[in-house]
Amino acid sequence: MLQIDDLTVRYRTPGGVLEALSSISISAEKGRTLALVGESGSGKSTVALAAMGLLPQEAEIASGKIVFDGRDIGAMSFEERRQLRGSRLGLVFQDPFSVLNPSLPIGEQVGEGLVHHRGFSKAQAFERAVELLNEVGIVNPQAVAKAYPHELSGGMRQRALIAGALAPEPDLLILDEPTTALDVTIEAQILDLLEQLRTSRGLTMLFISHNLGVVRRIADEVAVLYAGQIVEHGSTTEVLHHPVHPYSKGLLAAIPRIGLKQHRLAAIPGRLPDLRKPPSGCRFITRCPFATPSSDAPQTLRQVGERKVRCANAEPLRDTPWPRPEQVAEPIDLSARNQKPIVSVTDLTKTFRLGGGWRFDGWRPRKVETLLTPVNAISLDIRQGEVLGLVGESGSGKTTLGRTILRLIDPDAGTIRIGSETISDKPQRELEAMRRTAQIVFQNPDSSLNPRKTIGELLARPIERFGLVPKAEIPARVRALLDLVRLPAHYADRYAHQMSGGEKQRVGIARALATEPKFIVCDEPVSALDVSVQAAIVNLLADLRDRLGVAYLFISHDISVVAHLADRIAVMNRGELVEIGDADTVMNNPQHPYTIKLLSAVPRVDAAMQART
Amino acid sequence: MTAYVVRRLLFVVLVLVAVSMLVFGITALLPANVAYLILGPFAPPEQVRALELKLGLTDPIWQQYLRWASGFLTGDLGESTLMNRPIGPLLAEAIGRSLMLTGASFVLIAVIGVGLGIVAALRHGRPLDHGVSVGTYLGIAVPEFFWAIVVIMVFAAWLGWLPASGYESPSAGLWIWAQHLIAPTITLVFGHLAHVSRLTRSSMIEVLQSPYVTAARAKGLPERVIVLHHALRNALLPTITVLALDFGRLMGGIVVVETIFAYPGLGRLIVFSIQNRDLPTLQASILVVAAIYALANLMADLLYARFNPKIRFGRNVG
Repeated sequence: MLQIDDLTVRYRTPGGVLEALSSISISAEKGRTLALVGESGSGKSTVALAAMGLLPQEAEIASGKIVFDGRDIGAMSFEERRQLRGSRLGLVFQDPFSVLNPSLPIGEQVGEGLVHHRGFSKAQAFERAVELLNEVGIVNPQAVAKAYPHELSGGMRQRALIAGALAPEPDLLILDEPTTALDVTIEAQILDLLEQLRTSRGLTMLFISHNLGVVRRIADEVAVLYAGQIVEHGSTTEVLHHPVHPYSKGLLAAIPRIGLKQHRLAAIPGRLPDLRKPPSGCRFITRCPFATPSSDAPQTLRQVGERKVRCANAEPLRDTPWPRPEQVAEPIDLSARNQKPIVSVTDLTKTFRLGGGWRFDGWRPRKVETLLTPVNAISLDIRQGEVLGLVGESGSGKTTLGRTILRLIDPDAGTIRIGSETISDKPQRELEAMRRTAQIVFQNPDSSLNPRKTIGELLARPIERFGLVPKAEIPARVRALLDLVRLPAHYADRYAHQMSGGEKQRVGIARALATEPKFIVCDEPVSALDVSVQAAIVNLLADLRDRLGVAYLFISHDISVVAHLADRIAVMNRGELVEIGDADTVMNNPQHPYTIKLLSAVPRVDAAMQART
Repeated sequence: MTAYVVRRLLFVVLVLVAVSMLVFGITALLPANVAYLILGPFAPPEQVRALELKLGLTDPIWQQYLRWASGFLTGDLGESTLMNRPIGPLLAEAIGRSLMLTGASFVLIAVIGVGLGIVAALRHGRPLDHGVSVGTYLGIAVPEFFWAIVVIMVFAAWLGWLPASGYESPSAGLWIWAQHLIAPTITLVFGHLAHVSRLTRSSMIEVLQSPYVTAARAKGLPERVIVLHHALRNALLPTITVLALDFGRLMGGIVVVETIFAYPGLGRLIVFSIQNRDLPTLQASILVVAAIYALANLMADLLYARFNPKIRFGRNVG
């Protein structure tokens, strides 16, 4: 159905020409699903845009061709390509929050392809849109069709997008990270929907994702993309269960797995090569633990058994696993952890008033209030050196709880004790001591690090503020902090934008550690990071806990990460704590229906392949 | 939506009350009161005193304000001290003429400005874009009176197509009426294009790069539909606000332009009443300008709500 042959795409950037894709060849057969897997910067979204003929102006197809149903897309006129898009080729984007036009009703956006490709009238298209919305499992499709995007939840928007892409009945659907922005339960529903459509309509799918668990559920074939090259390509079972290329091995080893609690995750060290001057040899060489002098030579994608691998040493490496990480520090004495709690929260409640104000009820003004209680009578303890994992879907109140415990948000009711101090009833200016004991690591290191200050200044500030060491010793202390998070000392002179996402998050952690806290709220600290980087940060957090005895409230929507790191797990749903207990107990023997639902929705890489029809 | 409109209207009323107090307060602070102005600088003090009593100028200021304001509400705007004519009809006539001028200018500013903005955005970074930028900036950078003179020189003096100044009512013939409107309109439009076109251009460029426009392209929609239906609708939101502000600026612009073109509208009435210390006329005119300004902003808010579904209240499907 779709065949991409030897495709090379280059982008003109201010820093020089960047080769985003180098000689990519893939093909998607009718009725099958091909997954493209890769981390950020691998070029996977460029493939989607190139196939749709939607590359931005600064991109250039240097060589290769894209053939759809026997016709070369590159040789078509602009108008022919436009006719093809939408009608035979559908594209579903990653972020349902920004790809729907905010000022057009959903029904119009779902049906407009029909108006332009199938000659429907607007009314007919709207009617068909309602049917399609119903088909993708939206309740009350009539009302939803008339609604605007901001009135819908993320899952509903993603369904509407899929409905819109499906409307003109395309032959090929390209899905670019279609479930990344969604909660696991919604993700599971969308994947089921896609699978059902594939079988009922014979749809061909090109599924682009970084999430191997999702890929395992949906794809027949997998192509692993690294730095613009395909490094391994084969059937889903083969690639995901017995990866051969070192990068595939590393990627799979880096994923925390439920029910397989290792002490440390395997991480892939280093970072992507600069694609403005790609290395002539193996592009993974600097990060590869198996690299040999011969890896310096150009590598070709060649047949190894049933699959294709871009590695000269593929055969000898076939059964060699990715090296298991060593334990860096001795874990702290576990018995010491059973001391009294460092954080103790009782009946904590926070209510927000939304859209409060005066409304007109006819001519009579009336006070209207919408209340939202993201934290509803929650009680929990966190002991010294303990990691309490907090899971729940978006909107469940995880972040609000974390911030309320630190008094970044003032609670409405309940008590919070940190250390021996009750802090829930103190005014902000008396929280000085608590601010030293309790710190926070934010989700997005891009927006939580001041872009105009060097890393050294950022780390020195809290030390100075609390007068932890004499002024002369501050630089030494900053170096020690950088060392603690395994960043070289010269990073003190860098600015945030000069570092990668993982490095920035290390700085975020160092900043939290600067005051030598006893308790840190980690609010989705790895959600913005790639899998291989995520593993390194999770390991770092585990090491720090073992070495310093810090307790964490580890908030994440990714249950596998929480299961890996946490001693105990708390599950939140709509502001309430539905289950809390020992990590193994909660994972293996969940009691609350919501926990069971949440756990069953998590896509797992190592589960047996689903029976495919 | 009704509740929203009612609330906005209440705000407009509040603004007008505040403006009326200010206008009345400031003129009341002036050293010379209406009685002096009517009788002239050489009038005997007893006579001034008598007129002050007659006009109620010795009453407490709040009583004077209430009298003035209630007169306004009943349509009695007082009398022009200079022309000895009721202000009401005088003002109505001037407003009518000025609205012809500003209305025509405003429509042209909106249409041409948005159009130029779209074209510049679509050709962004190319010569046409730069041309539009330079042209509109030139319009806004040089004061209106200069362009007024240029327009008079070109169209009236050299080409002789248009009269240099004055006004004719439509009853004198539509073409003659229009001829008198063209020159001041061109001047006003040229001086105000930059705001609208620049803002439309930049928000259009931003919107054209947004994911939902790429998504619209992925659906294979024709470019025309993408630009006019998907992008413009969102790109116009900031422009609507600026258009309302520009309407206010136009009210300032007519003061200069009407004076130069001897166009007997609201702007000239204001200048005239200032020059001749016709306080009641001045107060009434300024209040009218404020009302027009407030209503223009109200219109902008309503249009904004019309185009931005997030502002419309009260519905929730999800």
